Amino acid sequence: MTAALHAEFLKLRTTRLVAAMTGLAVALTALIGVLEAVTAGTAKGMAIPSLATAGGLRDNLASTGFALLVAALLGVSIASGEFRLKTATDTYLDQPCRGRVLAAKAVAAAAAGAVLGTAAAAAATATALGFAASRGYPIALSDPAIARYTGGTVIASALLAAIGVGAGSLIRHQVGAIIAVVAWALVIELVVGATLTTVGRFLPYTAASMMAGDTNGGGMPQIPHGVTALPYPAAIAVLIAVAVAVGVTAASTTVHRDVT
Amino acid sequence: MMVIEVRDLAKRFGSATAVDGLSFAVGAGAVTGFLGPNGAGKTTTLRALLGLVRPTSGQAVIWGKPYRELGQRRRRVGAVLEASGLHPGRTVTDHLRVRCAATGARRSRIDAVLADTGMGELADRRAGGLSLGERQRLGLAAALLGEPEVLILDEPANGLDPAGLLWLRGFLRRFGEEGHTVLVSSHILAEVAQVADQAVVIDRGRLISAEPVTDLIRAGRQAVVVRTPRADSLGAALTSEGATVRAIEPDRLEITGLDTKQVATLAAALGIPIYEITTSTGSLEEAFLRLTGAEGRPG
Repeated sequence: MTAALHAEFLKLRTTRLVAAMTGLAVALTALIGVLEAVTAGTAKGMAIPSLATAGGLRDNLASTGFALLVAALLGVSIASGEFRLKTATDTYLDQPCRGRVLAAKAVAAAAAGAVLGTAAAAAATATALGFAASRGYPIALSDPAIARYTGGTVIASALLAAIGVGAGSLIRHQVGAIIAVVAWALVIELVVGATLTTVGRFLPYTAASMMAGDTNGGGMPQIPHGVTALPYPAAIAVLIAVAVAVGVTAASTTVHRDVT
Repeated sequence: MMVIEVRDLAKRFGSATAVDGLSFAVGAGAVTGFLGPNGAGKTTTLRALLGLVRPTSGQAVIWGKPYRELGQRRRRVGAVLEASGLHPGRTVTDHLRVRCAATGARRSRIDAVLADTGMGELADRRAGGLSLGERQRLGLAAALLGEPEVLILDEPANGLDPAGLLWLRGFLRRFGEEGHTVLVSSHILAEVAQVADQAVVIDRGRLISAEPVTDLIRAGRQAVVVRTPRADSLGAALTSEGATVRAIEPDRLEITGLDTKQVATLAAALGIPIYEITTSTGSLEEAFLRLTGAEGRPG
């Protein structure tokens, strides 16, 4: 397992995938954060409340919705990229125990997701606090609250990246896996959440977004009314459970398919 | 001692049969050519041998064990199956570093295998910028990191230029002479003929022949080639003696069914001058086409 882990971390360090995805996550977070901050308190369209309020500042801090999705797609790319680039042959020759490879990839992806989440959280925090300060508002949230939302983005990004590895292993076709993950996050969870509000909070992308402080969608489609945030430890437990479930499903089905 | 054994191996993909009850063995210290037309089942067999494809029935083992059960497997078995299996954004050296990390091979081996494969000057180049031949060499370099006893290569000559082919031939010959075992599939039969001791020929997933390359060639067509100014007269006389005669050029005949002595004696008896007489042995290509019946089949 140590060799597989070492190899997976080295794979990530020797390509530009993590840097590119992190750059994309930061750019999207900053863009959404600035657009929200500029229109905050104007009551126009889907504008967030004023940055002088705790709700407005929290919503602006949670402009990491797209970053969370990018973290999941990073995990998908790490897993399914092996089949797109046909590097899976050598990977499985080096380590024929494919479940071990999957576990190593999930751990490496989680670390990369944490890096991505840290960068995105930093961008969101800098944007929100910067705009609030520039307008002379007092910081309406306590330091622990800000740390909680920032930490939520980091943890959620890490766990969504691990889930993405499972999804990318279940669906080897990279484009298919990306479409499936995006559709799940932007369509299926919203439909299920709107229909069954008590279930919505247990869905992984919703739970992850709410860990990051999101109540209005963080630039994404709105989280359905009536869906309330899980307690922090419960949200983490949900994301870990989903990552394990998807990984185990992949390990017992598609992972053992022929590599032709 | 047999290093590689394929026992009654069968593999079906849906309704298509890729390998159909194939059995053969490769002994220690031999360079074995694994030959067959496109779609014969060579790649599927090699992938089954390396645990990448699950056999429908039968088994393929190395030192009596499935690949995944071998201890120190990547330090005992080197394999190159897919020259295109490289991340385009990773440099040559980084690719080898990843393989060292995954297999436990010593990092100090990287410079050695780069030198062995003539890739030293390309160490910092990204794989996306390599030619197919350079990718083949990089694949081979990675396979050599663990100093393996056995090499399994799938079409390693693909994409190599003449200099690359010459290098590959020399490398395989040297590797074999050092007592290592090589199983190499190739459609460039002349390359195999020059380096392989044994040839395993398969077609439509079935074994056609497994014998020394020299026997395979010898079993092919042997002909006598004669140059004479009276080709028509000599041809008619040889045909009446039961030989099969084919005019290669207006003054050159290829004769099968009679040996050199018989042809020369008949020409002398008829007073037909002969300017040149030689024997022509068959080639591996001819033997291959004869065995697989692929002469008239589209490639």
